[in-house]
Amino acid sequence: MRRLAVRPALARSLDRALLAILCAGLALVGVEAALLPWGGAGRIVLVLYPIVCLTYLGAGIVAWYRRPGNRLGAVILFGGFAMWLSGLQDTDIPVLVAVGSVGATLILAVLVHLLHAFPSGRLPGPVSVTTVSIAYVTSLVLQAPKYLFNPDAGVPALFLADDPTALAVGAMLQSLVGAGVMVATAVVLIGRLRRAGPAGRRVLAPLFAYGSGAALFIPVSTLVLTPLLGLTDVERTALQLVVLGCVPLAFAFGMLRGGFARTGEVEELGTWLGASDGSRPALTRALARALGDPSLALSFWVARQRIFVDDHGVPIVRDSSPERGLVPVELEGRTVGAIHYDSQLIADPELVRTAGQVIAIAVDRERLTAELRESQRALQQSRERLVDAADRERRRIAQDLHDGLQVQLVLLALEAQQLANAAGTDTAIGERATQLRQRIDDAAANLRQLVAAVMPAGLIEHGLGAAVEDLADRMPIPTTLELSIDEIPASSALESTAYFVTAEALTNAVKHARASSASVRLTSDDGWLMIEVSDDGMGGANPGRGSGLRGMTDRVDVLGGHLRIASEPGQGTRIEVALPCA
Amino acid sequence: MRVIIAEDETLLRRGLQLLLEEGGLQVVAATPDSETLEEAVDRFRPDLVITDIRMPPTHTDEGLQAALRIRRKYADVAVVVLSQHVQRRYASELLASPQGRVGYLLKQRIANVDTFLADLREVAAGGTALDPDVVAVMVARATLSNQAVRALTPRQQQVLALMAEGRSNARIAAELFLTEKAVVQHTSRIYDALGLPVDSDSHRRVLAVVRYLSRG
Repeated sequence: MRRLAVRPALARSLDRALLAILCAGLALVGVEAALLPWGGAGRIVLVLYPIVCLTYLGAGIVAWYRRPGNRLGAVILFGGFAMWLSGLQDTDIPVLVAVGSVGATLILAVLVHLLHAFPSGRLPGPVSVTTVSIAYVTSLVLQAPKYLFNPDAGVPALFLADDPTALAVGAMLQSLVGAGVMVATAVVLIGRLRRAGPAGRRVLAPLFAYGSGAALFIPVSTLVLTPLLGLTDVERTALQLVVLGCVPLAFAFGMLRGGFARTGEVEELGTWLGASDGSRPALTRALARALGDPSLALSFWVARQRIFVDDHGVPIVRDSSPERGLVPVELEGRTVGAIHYDSQLIADPELVRTAGQVIAIAVDRERLTAELRESQRALQQSRERLVDAADRERRRIAQDLHDGLQVQLVLLALEAQQLANAAGTDTAIGERATQLRQRIDDAAANLRQLVAAVMPAGLIEHGLGAAVEDLADRMPIPTTLELSIDEIPASSALESTAYFVTAEALTNAVKHARASSASVRLTSDDGWLMIEVSDDGMGGANPGRGSGLRGMTDRVDVLGGHLRIASEPGQGTRIEVALPCA
Repeated sequence: MRVIIAEDETLLRRGLQLLLEEGGLQVVAATPDSETLEEAVDRFRPDLVITDIRMPPTHTDEGLQAALRIRRKYADVAVVVLSQHVQRRYASELLASPQGRVGYLLKQRIANVDTFLADLREVAAGGTALDPDVVAVMVARATLSNQAVRALTPRQQQVLALMAEGRSNARIAAELFLTEKAVVQHTSRIYDALGLPVDSDSHRRVLAVVRYLSRG
């Protein structure tokens, strides 16, 4: 796709909004960094907080900028905010510590949210919505006992009562529900992995593994690893921050790369349409890019036949699997085409519909082209059928005459002769009967010529070579024949076309060109049957005039061959025909 | 003389059978296709086979192919091929089978009963019979391209055609109302003009003439 010189107004507005978010984010991170107690022991850990926050901020803004129609960027930014919240716990200002304690585990809920929303940015289906909601409840509400009933939490502002039982029950409840959320998430993700294609799976599998691992690492490292390996608080926190810090990078990378890479904007699509000729497959490509679905396909509606065709005019069969979504493209209330997309990748058909509205006019133009191609194809097929039908009819007539009238004439002549030969027949009657037999023989000879003109016996019995040879043998002018052709399918349109074209050219040489000699050359050359008929006649043959040459041209045309006539007055005529032996 | 007929048109097969039987030939089998024909030939070993070219199942040239196979298999079984249309290529293919005993005639020739029966006997006796139509095509073609043939007198061209048809000198003489001596004179002039070797064997004579006419 060409680079755009001008970004559309809406895109420029988005740019400004993202810039504002970036500034606000930087300011928040700066403030938090300033408030952290840099004189303490865990200085290294403290450095990690702003770095991780900045990673979320950067990754979220890039993702949002590259794919404005996708909410994943916003979710990543929200993750940055959650990291920032938990960082507040380490400041020395009690109010901020209290706020930080409330959102201490929010990042885990955001992680679950990211896992469910990848790659479309939306939560597909009620299971995901419920799971993510419970995750947020777990991290915000079920976190409360930890500071409400724990005097050691260091948040006196929120401390309610020293109640070890409530604290233990709360912690247990949070762990149980949290574990339930992770199990539900695992089930959903495995299900999605199984439905994904191989290309999608290559991106999804490592991402899901890492995301789930990170979400599990936080509680597991606190509850299991620390006592097991004897980690200090500083070491543990540092590890957790590094693991969490890589999360936004992984999601942003996964979204922009792999099978979900192509990015653009529906609004950009409109600008692009104005700046290009909008022809296919550029149109399909631009749409695929704008919606981030490389498998996207466009089809066009042929109203006359009530079918969808692809851009070659070939009718398409709709893929009815649930992974393939279909959104019709409408222009002024009539369907002009349809967009076929991956519904795993694009959760929101409205987005596709909007894109469809943008390109509707271009689709309509493409549709007309596709319709034209389709009707051209239908026309070609109908012409082929006409030629086939004519050939079949010729063969049928020739066969009927062969089996019927020709046999009858033999039997009639035989009877007349037997009458003449019969004992006791009057001499005069005998002579008349013999004459009758001879006249029947003459009629039979005329009939033979007629049959040969309709569909020669040589063609039916022995194929093109024999038929053309007989044709040349019976020419009233010296006619040379050069024959070196490969096998041609018997009774094919190719065979009869080649024969009738040769016959017509030779007839013209005798009848119109008054030639004194002619030559015929039939050769096979790399999938083509070449026919050359030349004579030394008066020339001046015009394919526009006379039904013979016209019919020849039509027949050759139907088979996708070509015909060339060189016929200068006084220079003889040379007809060259090439027919594809497909 | 024992004969087998192969012809898919029932009426014509019956007519042909009656005609042959009235002519004193013994029809030992009459079959409707080439497969049963070859079985019957294996079984009866006739003196003569008369077969149509175009027969079931493909309605192309199975009669001709069967005729060629029979000639290769049985040197003593003569074959006459009948067709609604005659052409040079088939004549050449038939003549190429060893020792003659082949005929190639239009079906319409059946009606001229006496000539037809004479041709059959000629072939069965080791001779050759080519249809006047296919010979006419050969002669006309040679006349256009061959100076020597063009230089022959009309009478000599007539004699040449009859020679190609496989007629003996006696039959040529009867056909043209000439004495046999006159025919011999004509033939030797033709041999001289065309540079053909004199040969008394009737099949070799046909072969030489047809080869000459089909040249170039």
